[in-house]
Amino acid sequence: MALSICSGLLQRYSLFESLSNLQRVVPAVSRLVVKGTQRRFKVVPKAPEPPRRVNLQDLRKWKVEGRKIVMITAYDYPSAVHADLAEIDVVLVGDSVAMVALGHDTTQKVTLTDMIHHCRAVVNGCKRPLIVGDLPFGSYEVSPEQAMSSAYRLIKEGSVDAVKLEGGKKITETVHRIVQGGIAVMGHVGLTPASVSAIGGFRSFGRNCKEAKDILEDAFALQEAGAFAVVLECVPQVVAKHITELLHIPTIGIGAGKYTSGQVLVYHDMCGMLQHPHHAKVTPKFCKKYAQVGEAIQEALENYRDEVRNGEFPSETYSPYHMPKEEYEQFLQEIQTSPFLVERNHKPQQVMSHLDVHLYGDPK
Amino acid sequence: MALSICSGLLQRYSLFESLSNLQRVVPAVSRLVVKGTQRRFKVIPKAPEPPRRVNLQDLRKWKVEGRKIVMITAYDYPSAVHADLAEIDVVLVGDSVAMVALGHDTTQKVTLTDMIHHCRAVVNGCKRPLIVGDLPFGSYEVSPEQAMSSAYRLIKEGSVDAVKLEGGKKIAETVHRIVQGGIAVMGHVGLTPASVSAIGGFRSFGRNCKEAKDILEDAFALQEAGAFAVVLECVPQVVAKHITELLHIPTIGIGAGKYTSGQVLVYHDMCGMLQHPHHAKVTPKFCKKYAQVGEAIQEALENYRDEVRNGEFPSETYSPYHMPKEEYEQFLQEIQTSPYLKPQQVMSHLDVHLYGK
Repeated sequence: MALSICSGLLQRYSLFESLSNLQRVVPAVSRLVVKGTQRRFKVVPKAPEPPRRVNLQDLRKWKVEGRKIVMITAYDYPSAVHADLAEIDVVLVGDSVAMVALGHDTTQKVTLTDMIHHCRAVVNGCKRPLIVGDLPFGSYEVSPEQAMSSAYRLIKEGSVDAVKLEGGKKITETVHRIVQGGIAVMGHVGLTPASVSAIGGFRSFGRNCKEAKDILEDAFALQEAGAFAVVLECVPQVVAKHITELLHIPTIGIGAGKYTSGQVLVYHDMCGMLQHPHHAKVTPKFCKKYAQVGEAIQEALENYRDEVRNGEFPSETYSPYHMPKEEYEQFLQEIQTSPFLVERNHKPQQVMSHLDVHLYGDPK
Repeated sequence: MALSICSGLLQRYSLFESLSNLQRVVPAVSRLVVKGTQRRFKVIPKAPEPPRRVNLQDLRKWKVEGRKIVMITAYDYPSAVHADLAEIDVVLVGDSVAMVALGHDTTQKVTLTDMIHHCRAVVNGCKRPLIVGDLPFGSYEVSPEQAMSSAYRLIKEGSVDAVKLEGGKKIAETVHRIVQGGIAVMGHVGLTPASVSAIGGFRSFGRNCKEAKDILEDAFALQEAGAFAVVLECVPQVVAKHITELLHIPTIGIGAGKYTSGQVLVYHDMCGMLQHPHHAKVTPKFCKKYAQVGEAIQEALENYRDEVRNGEFPSETYSPYHMPKEEYEQFLQEIQTSPYLKPQQVMSHLDVHLYGK
C-alpha cells in the first residue's frame, strides 16, 4: 500500500516533494522508504578505474627531479604482467624479440607484422607502464613516408603508446615527420644493433673523440626533431653523462653507465633465461643477472620428464576427475558388447590403419 | 728431401707401397713421416651430425614397450631450447599460446598466421623432439579442403613435423584426408578447449557412461582415420585407461590420469609462471608445479627496479666501456666550443607545441 501511495505521488510530484508528502502521511514507514531511497540514489556503483598510464610528462618531470626511469623489454603477456606488477615505468617491445624469443642471430629478420603481434600481447598485460614499440629493420629507413606508415600501423594495430627507431642525424627528418604526424618517438643512438651487417658485429661506440662527438650530435639532432627520449647503447659512462647533461629530454642507457636518466635491460638477460650452462647464450657484460630462471626451468623440465617416465606423475592428487561407480559399471558393460571388443581380442599389431600399411608395409 | 722422395714415391706407387719403400730407404726419418701421414689420413674431419629427430616409429615402439611418452608445450625459442635440452620427446606448439603468451581469455582468437609464427620460433630451438603444431579454431572445421590447406601451410611455413586438431567422429573424414595428403595428424578428444563457446566453459568430460562411450568412439574413429596418436584431456583415469588399452595408437593424457601412453602439460603452468600471488592465473588442478618461476621473475624485476632507482645499478662492473684519457679530454674541449652548450635555451618545436614557450 505504501508502494502504491509512493507511485501515485511520484507520478504527480517531484521526488523530493513526494518524499515530503509521504513523510507527512506515513511517518514510520516513510522513514524506512526514504532511507532506502537515499541509499539507492546516493551510492552509484562505479566501474573500478584502471591505473593511470605513465606518459611523456611524467618522464620529463622525472628527469628534472632526478628520479631514475626504469625500463625493461617484454615480448609477451606474462612478461608484460610481471613488468606491470613490478611497477616498471616503461616497457619496450623491442626488436630484440628476434634474438631472444624467435631464435634468430640478429634483429634484422623480424617484420613489422611480427612486432605488431608481440606488441598486442604485451599491451594485454600492461595497464600502467608506457609501452614503446620498436620499428624493425627495414620498416622506416626507405623514406619518411614509409616510416610514417609503419609507425601508424604500430600504433593502430599494435596498440602501443610510442615508437622507437634506431639512427641519428640521418634519421632526423623522418623522426620530425612522425612527430608532426602525431606519434611520440623515442630515439636510439650509440650501438644500433639492427645495422649489424653494416657495422660488422656488435661493439661499443664512442670510445674515441670523433665517435663520441657523433653520438652527441645524433642525440641532439633527435631532440631537435622532437623525440621525447633517446636510448644510449654501449657507450662509455663519461660520454653518456655529458649527453644526459646537455640534453633536456631523458636518456635511457644500456651499457652506458649510471649517469643516464634511466636504464633499460633485456628481460631474458636480466632474468637469467637461456642461462643453463649447456646452452649459455652469452649474457652481455653490462647486464646483471637478477635471477637464474633458465636453470630453474631446466630442473623443472627434467623432474617432469623423470616423473612421467617412472609413473610418478600424475599421482592421485593430479588425477582429479572421477566417474561414479554405477556409470563406470555401465561403461564397462557397454564396451564389452561394442564392436571395439573385437580389437581387444586381436593383438594390437594386427590392426593396422592404412597409413601404417602405407608407411611400414603389411606385417603379415 | 724426405718430402720430395715421398711425393715421388706416391706418384708411382699406392700409399702403402710408398710407405714401405720409404721405410726401407730412410728408417729413422721415415718413421716420423709415416706417423705423420697416418695421423693425417686416418682421421678425416666430419661435420657433426645433428641428433636424430623423434619420429612416429619411435612413438609406436614406445607404446609397445610401455615407455611413457613425455610431451610439453612451447611457444618460443627459449622454451624450445629448454625442452630439447631436457630430452623431452614431443613438443607441442599449442593454441594455448593464445591464453598464456598472448593474453586472451580463450584459445579462439589465435590465427593460423600466429601459429605459424610461433612454430617457426620453436623449430629454431628444437633439434631432437618431434614438433607438433596445433591447427587453431576456425582453420579446419569448414571443410576437409580448408583443413588440408591449413595443414599444408603449417607444415610448409611453420616447419613442424605433424599437426594436431580437436574433434572426434565429426572430424574423422577431415583427418583421413589430411593423412592421405601426406601429413601426420595427432587427434584431441575429451575436453576440446577451442569449442569453449559451444561447451559453455571448461569442464571435464566422460564422467558418465554416455560421454565416456562417446570419447572412446571418437578416439577410435581418429585411429581408423589414420591419426598417429590422440590427446585425452580432462577425462576420468579409468576411462583413459580403457581407451589406451583398446587403441593401438599412443594416447597422451592431460588431466587424464597415469594410464595413458604419455603425458602433456602446458609449459607456463608446470614452471609456475604467472604464479605470483598478486596475479595468480589459475593453475589447472591436474597440473603439478615443478618450479616457481613467476615468483623468481617478480623478485628479479623488483630488485632491478630498486637498484636502478637508488643508483646501485649499473655499478662499475656493469659499466664496461671506457674512453682513453686523451680522447676524453679532446671530447671535453670540442663540446665546450660547440653550439650544444646551453641546453635549457633550446626547446624543440614539440616542446613548444606541448608545453608552450
